Amino acid sequence: MNTNQLKRKSRSETSDAFWSWIFMTPTTLFLVITALIPLLYSVYISFFKLKMNLPNATPSYVGFANYARMLTDKTLRVATSNTFLFAFVSVTLELVIGLFVAMAFCSDRRWARLGTSVLLVPMIMAPVAIGTLWRMMLDGNTGVINYLLGFLGMDSVNWLSNPKYAMPAVLFVNVWQLVPWVVIVAAAGLKALPGDCLEAALVDGASNRQIFWHIVLPMISPLLVIIYMLRFVDAFKVFDTVYTMTNGGPGTATEMLPNYIYKQGMKYFDVGYTAALAIAFVVVMSLFTAIFLKIRKRVEERVQ
Amino acid sequence: MNRKRKTPSSSATERVIGDFAGRPVRVIIVVVSLIAILFPLYWLIANSLRTKTDYLANPPILFNAPVTIQNYQKILIENGIFKEFTNTFIVAAVSTVIAVVFGSMAAYATVRGRIAKKIRNFFGLWFMIQKMYPAIATAIPVYLVMRHLRLIDTRFALIIMNTSFNLPLVIWLMMGFFEQIPLEMEESAIIDGANFVQRFFRIVFPVTTPGIIASAILAFVGAWNEFLFAVILSVNRSKTLPVVIAGFITDRGLEWGPMAATAVITLLPILIVVWALQKNFVQGLAMGAVKG
Repeated sequence: MNTNQLKRKSRSETSDAFWSWIFMTPTTLFLVITALIPLLYSVYISFFKLKMNLPNATPSYVGFANYARMLTDKTLRVATSNTFLFAFVSVTLELVIGLFVAMAFCSDRRWARLGTSVLLVPMIMAPVAIGTLWRMMLDGNTGVINYLLGFLGMDSVNWLSNPKYAMPAVLFVNVWQLVPWVVIVAAAGLKALPGDCLEAALVDGASNRQIFWHIVLPMISPLLVIIYMLRFVDAFKVFDTVYTMTNGGPGTATEMLPNYIYKQGMKYFDVGYTAALAIAFVVVMSLFTAIFLKIRKRVEERVQ
Repeated sequence: MNRKRKTPSSSATERVIGDFAGRPVRVIIVVVSLIAILFPLYWLIANSLRTKTDYLANPPILFNAPVTIQNYQKILIENGIFKEFTNTFIVAAVSTVIAVVFGSMAAYATVRGRIAKKIRNFFGLWFMIQKMYPAIATAIPVYLVMRHLRLIDTRFALIIMNTSFNLPLVIWLMMGFFEQIPLEMEESAIIDGANFVQRFFRIVFPVTTPGIIASAILAFVGAWNEFLFAVILSVNRSKTLPVVIAGFITDRGLEWGPMAATAVITLLPILIVVWALQKNFVQGLAMGAVKG
């Protein structure tokens, strides 16, 4: 390389660095203004007592009172345990069912492609529409689900207004909504499995079941861990379907954190407390994200 | 090397995975899962074509004898759903375009930018956290600020917020696609004297078109269906279709027919787009999870 080329190279490097920052700028500004600043504003508000429906009332500083209130908030405790239960059960079911469906659909034939098109529907339908559709189908009097279950000899159930059945119903709808997502992602993982390996096992006389337990499952398990974590974090944010199906009811049977926070803000207009709840929620979610990133890193290292 | 043998598309391995518990079980799983999705879809469409006495009939009517379009007439003419449809389309389209352009730029700078590795990792982590954290956390402050700026009930406010959700999604996906581009490709462009911007537009952008399409559809579908901020930030003028659907659950009772008709109108356009670009959509979903 002669001096001329060297000069040109260093000049282009400075220009590259400059342009790299330019590329980063719009997104950074956008996210700082629309996400980071509101979050910090939330922290600030959480130290005040402020009612949104009284715009002229001056907010009064209350220190950590909003956070202290959380400790004695009984509904919050119910909402928290409901959310954990919901996330744990729904994601576990989605993963197991999703894996089996993905395997059954593992084919390059036409029927599998068309089947995948059908599987995409719940993913594309507005979650609000999913909630209202299932609310209609699960209706205690006119719902088609009770009618169909009647053929199997089952009694009519008030799915959404009976505290005993409301949570299973909401869980079921979430499973319906998100199994397809697990199927699509798991199918991509199955397609990436080395075919030689499976064929070799087949030649050695292993049965399909043995191959599943000893080869397919171990090879796909890192992906399953990632799917589980992604869905788990996501399940905590469930809002649209709960809001439209039960709005947390009956009583607090299906009350979950996002819906509870929404109610505190948009129904009771208790801005200070809502902000404190939101901050606590973000802290917990960040913790989950950190754990997720750690696990993902470890999984990736294991794969390599 | 024969590529066919590397992928399990050969029928033998397909059978191994597909028939993991025997052929009959496989058929049952496929049939049951298809019915589980198609029946609710049928029920939605069927109810959108029913009269009030029919959709509230007890026991329910499984098959429509007379088909009526009165629910569609009601929402199109009486409720003027066209306005909400336009709102939804504008909000989804504009926020998608902004997010794809700025997001892929930021993703490229994060993956291949000439910035210290540590700083790039920091940005990558930040974008990731943005994608994970709950939208509800900023709902109240955003509402207060928008109210202060008199932006409540404007499409502008919804475009801003949907872009904010879509940016991390696009970045996250595009980082995965950019990482797959071989470094040699860009190195040879550097030797040819192409600068950062030229490399991005002339070399990287063309080969990542599938990724761009994938993230655009995912962002568009997300914004099209977004509900939380749409319901908080709109009163009347900037209402979107999901807000209308939820609005049918009223104290006076549930209007299943018009609700179903609105849901069908909401679903149909994006379903057509996603089916037309199914390969990209599926690839995008997979990339979002498996990204290296």
